[in-house]
Amino acid sequence: MASSYKKNLSRFQSVIALLVLCIVLSLLTDKFFTAANGVNVLRQVAVNVCIATGMTLVVLTAGIDLSVGSVLALCGAITAGLLKNGIQFPSADLYIGFTILGAVLGSVIVGGLLGLMNGLAITKFKVPPFVATLAMLTIARGFTMLYTGGHPISNLGTNFAYIGAGSFIGIPVPVWIAAIVVLLAVFITQKTKLGRYIYAIGGNETAAILSGIRINRVKLIVYSLGAALAAIGGVIVTSRLDSAQPNAGISYELDAIAAVVIGGTSLNGGKGSVWGTVIGAVIIGVLNNGLVLLNVSPFWQQVVKGGVILLAVVIDKMGDKKE
Amino acid sequence: MKKLLKYILLIAAIGLVGYKSVYFKKLSDGTNASGKKFDAVIFSQKLWDEKMPAKIDSAVDLAVLMNSVTKDKEAAFNKYSNALGIGNYRYAFIKTQAKVIAVNEDEIQVQLNVADSIMNAVLATEYIYGNAIRDASALIDVKDFPNSADLNSISEQVNKIVRSTVLPSFKSTVKKGDTINITAAVELNKEHIKWPGLELLPVRLQIVH
Repeated sequence: MASSYKKNLSRFQSVIALLVLCIVLSLLTDKFFTAANGVNVLRQVAVNVCIATGMTLVVLTAGIDLSVGSVLALCGAITAGLLKNGIQFPSADLYIGFTILGAVLGSVIVGGLLGLMNGLAITKFKVPPFVATLAMLTIARGFTMLYTGGHPISNLGTNFAYIGAGSFIGIPVPVWIAAIVVLLAVFITQKTKLGRYIYAIGGNETAAILSGIRINRVKLIVYSLGAALAAIGGVIVTSRLDSAQPNAGISYELDAIAAVVIGGTSLNGGKGSVWGTVIGAVIIGVLNNGLVLLNVSPFWQQVVKGGVILLAVVIDKMGDKKE
Repeated sequence: MKKLLKYILLIAAIGLVGYKSVYFKKLSDGTNASGKKFDAVIFSQKLWDEKMPAKIDSAVDLAVLMNSVTKDKEAAFNKYSNALGIGNYRYAFIKTQAKVIAVNEDEIQVQLNVADSIMNAVLATEYIYGNAIRDASALIDVKDFPNSADLNSISEQVNKIVRSTVLPSFKSTVKKGDTINITAAVELNKEHIKWPGLELLPVRLQIVH
């Protein structure tokens, strides 16, 4: 009885942490527990939820993807560039213009391909995920600078701005997008063969190989999905700012990894869930929001965020030991 | 047979998405697709020579602007000012007469007699920067420019024109005690309007006596 109680407590530790955080912030500032602030927090965490969901799939295979922030920037720039300038072929006197759908699809495809390249480096050339994705972080940032010339691409139109700044039945559009992404990821991890393979590879890669799982193929899919979700994050950020910024997404990978870890996904792979990551992302969002409302200096905010991540990992490790 | 049907449906779906995603034009037809590099120097000079004079002529009297803002802020800003982006900052061309109270290296301190009260302002004579002149003119539509760099280069060039054509002769002759006519661009924060100490970025200057 007591052991089952402890097990449940450990399962819901991130939800409990979120509730405690909300209660404490509500007591400290009356600006926190309002509908407007709630919507604001959700809008702010939507991008991180998208990226962190992809990161969860990668981390579940015992991998890591450090390139998501740069991929987000490049894909955001590509979306803006396709919308604004299309593709031009002066020699053929041809201009290919892109609708919003076309620009978004184009950027998600590019994101997927970048993830595929990460996956190929990891599976075919046996480059450790940390190194392969670190290299992609620099490459994608460089391509972003080359593509934009180091300047923002702005004024993308009100229709496109609706993706990042609009609302549908009172809920911000980015939140709807994040919700769809999460539901799809939950479906994949819990109801499909691919999901079971992801957990199996992270749990014990050798056992997964011996049981006939084509681990290279699964990893290629996972890294492609992770980068494609970063691209969706890029579309949201670009739309919200009505501008593609060459410096967008810097250190977003760290927020995504933090959400994954706080949400209880093990960095060793095989253990964790997308729902946990969502809670993790919301905890980070609430923490950021609360610290701003409490007028805490931005420098202290970083210290507090780092401390929370460390605490989450320590609690997770203690739970692992007990098990 | 089932597989074939699946492929046909897949190709049809891709075709439909593609049809809704891209469109084709002749490069020579579209303004965005001109393929030519934007020349900010030529564009800004043409703007200054051909379109700017009319806008400077129609600058609002500062006293009228202040009075209108007091009566109905929104209506006044809508009528007399312009902004390219969202936010509280608005830009307007104003005209006023002023008395020079100090000539400094980078600026001239002036005293304005507006709305039956004396107000001090600063006339910039060295550092003509920012987008105030471009935006106050309301001659630029952001949709016509593919990137912010082109848009910013217009401000850069227009400011350069002001520094090289409007200011040199004025700076060499103006002295303390002069009465001058000023037409200038001003930046105003809709939510925090502060008239005293207003910075004036000149576009036309005349020493009356």
